Amino acid sequence: MSYGSSGSAAPAEEKRHHAPLSGKDTDFYYNGLEDGQLLIQKCDACGTLRNPPSPGCGACSSMDWSPHALTGTGTIYSYTVHYHPPLPGFASPHPIAVAEFEGVRVVGAMDGTEPAAMAIGKPVTIEFTRRGEAAGFRFKLA
Amino acid sequence: MANFSKKAAIAGYGATEFSKNSGRSELKLATEAALAACADAGINPSEVDGISTYTMDNNNEQEVARAIGSKELKFFGQTSGGGGGACAPLMQAAMAVATGVAETVLCYRAMNERSEYRFGQPIQAQMPTSDNLIFAYHGFQGLMTAAALLAVSMRRYMHESGATQDDFCNYAMVARKHAARNPNAFFYGKPITREEYHASRMIADPFHLLDCCQESDGACAVIVTTAERARDLRQPAVLINAAAQGSPWGTMGLGAYYKQDIVPRDECAAAARQLWATSGLSPKDMQMAIIYDHFGPTVLPGLEAYGFCEYGEAKDFIKDGNIEVGGTLPVNTNGGQLGEAYIHGMNGVCEAVRQIRGTAINQVADVENVLVTAGSGVPTSAVVLSRDV
Repeated sequence: MSYGSSGSAAPAEEKRHHAPLSGKDTDFYYNGLEDGQLLIQKCDACGTLRNPPSPGCGACSSMDWSPHALTGTGTIYSYTVHYHPPLPGFASPHPIAVAEFEGVRVVGAMDGTEPAAMAIGKPVTIEFTRRGEAAGFRFKLA
Repeated sequence: MANFSKKAAIAGYGATEFSKNSGRSELKLATEAALAACADAGINPSEVDGISTYTMDNNNEQEVARAIGSKELKFFGQTSGGGGGACAPLMQAAMAVATGVAETVLCYRAMNERSEYRFGQPIQAQMPTSDNLIFAYHGFQGLMTAAALLAVSMRRYMHESGATQDDFCNYAMVARKHAARNPNAFFYGKPITREEYHASRMIADPFHLLDCCQESDGACAVIVTTAERARDLRQPAVLINAAAQGSPWGTMGLGAYYKQDIVPRDECAAAARQLWATSGLSPKDMQMAIIYDHFGPTVLPGLEAYGFCEYGEAKDFIKDGNIEVGGTLPVNTNGGQLGEAYIHGMNGVCEAVRQIRGTAINQVADVENVLVTAGSGVPTSAVVLSRDV
């Protein structure tokens, strides 16, 4: 399925999610969460995976792409633990990680994980959850 | 290679007091700083024919021009990057005066960034602009503040370089030591101890409160004109020797975790390559430097990216006292944005001007060249300012 072909009249994907802020280039990602999938983009022309959402492929400039679901185990590339100020929907302190899946980095909440357990290099898996009205996900230590 | 080297100069600078509550509008702060810069240069404000500032400044160029009595603007605009843009207006101004597009360019930053709004608060955007969609993508995962967004990058830096919390403390202590001797600094007379640093509350791991720049009210401005004209004005000319912007592929307005190197460094290195090529100078030709400290720990990769140390060596460079007044490369002699004030980098530009004129509080001996850098981890900019010899 091609989502972003240049020159075609293919309509943008219909918004089926309740994320606080999204646009025509990002709706597929939040729709994917509603379906229990963590989606990134795969270039139809050169096969390069990319994230976060962008209308064009940084490797070959093609605008044709297909969604690609990440599964299995990723590795923490870096992280922080947010303490202050308090954020809506999160109880401080809460970790957030940048994890690598198939060589692509993805940011994920890690609320529910002990801050002291966080470390670069640890494996994580994907857990789908709700964030208020919206479908979301977080990483858990594997 | 850029060909505006030494064709433009900073002829004057001005600033308001730095506080947590200015008690007046941002536009009034901008006007005060602009008029002070004109007076310092000895030019009539009506002669200002260019304005260059950078994004997140709320003072429209035409409103500032109207307030100071600029007869006609021929050149005006904002460069992007927020604090990363702090040095870019100098580049724009230098190009404008070198090409004759304008002759007298005002650069400013004025903000009530404590009393009217706070950059430390969660970023919760409404409009689906390209920038905001990235903020929203990160925000949805609980990554909503500038501190947390940069903390992720600095956690990686610690992992790669072996730098520790104590190494970050060393920078914070130097900044506050410099500020303690600067009567214009918000933290004048208030140095910090190692114990106070470690006891300060965590904001976003690894950033403690005392790693974070202040939230400040205040304004700074400079006047850029041709080097030729600057020589006839009342202050010694401070030459714009080189100026550059840096934005390699994958750079973002915070949260650029999707390029190979996520440390706030490669955008700086990109600017550095251009600066050293344009000026023909190297890091060892700098007598001091202003290294952007939105968060003190980022000074470490900053020193490395601009070539003052090898990767991973900044922690020892700082520990050995090099960046203090009296050291081999005094850094942020005004107290930096941790100690003096956070005027989005423009107060650092003003400090460089004073150092080259020889009028700084924490004066470094015989300053000929100063590197000034802007915010890292975002599209950045930097400038080499030089004495007119």
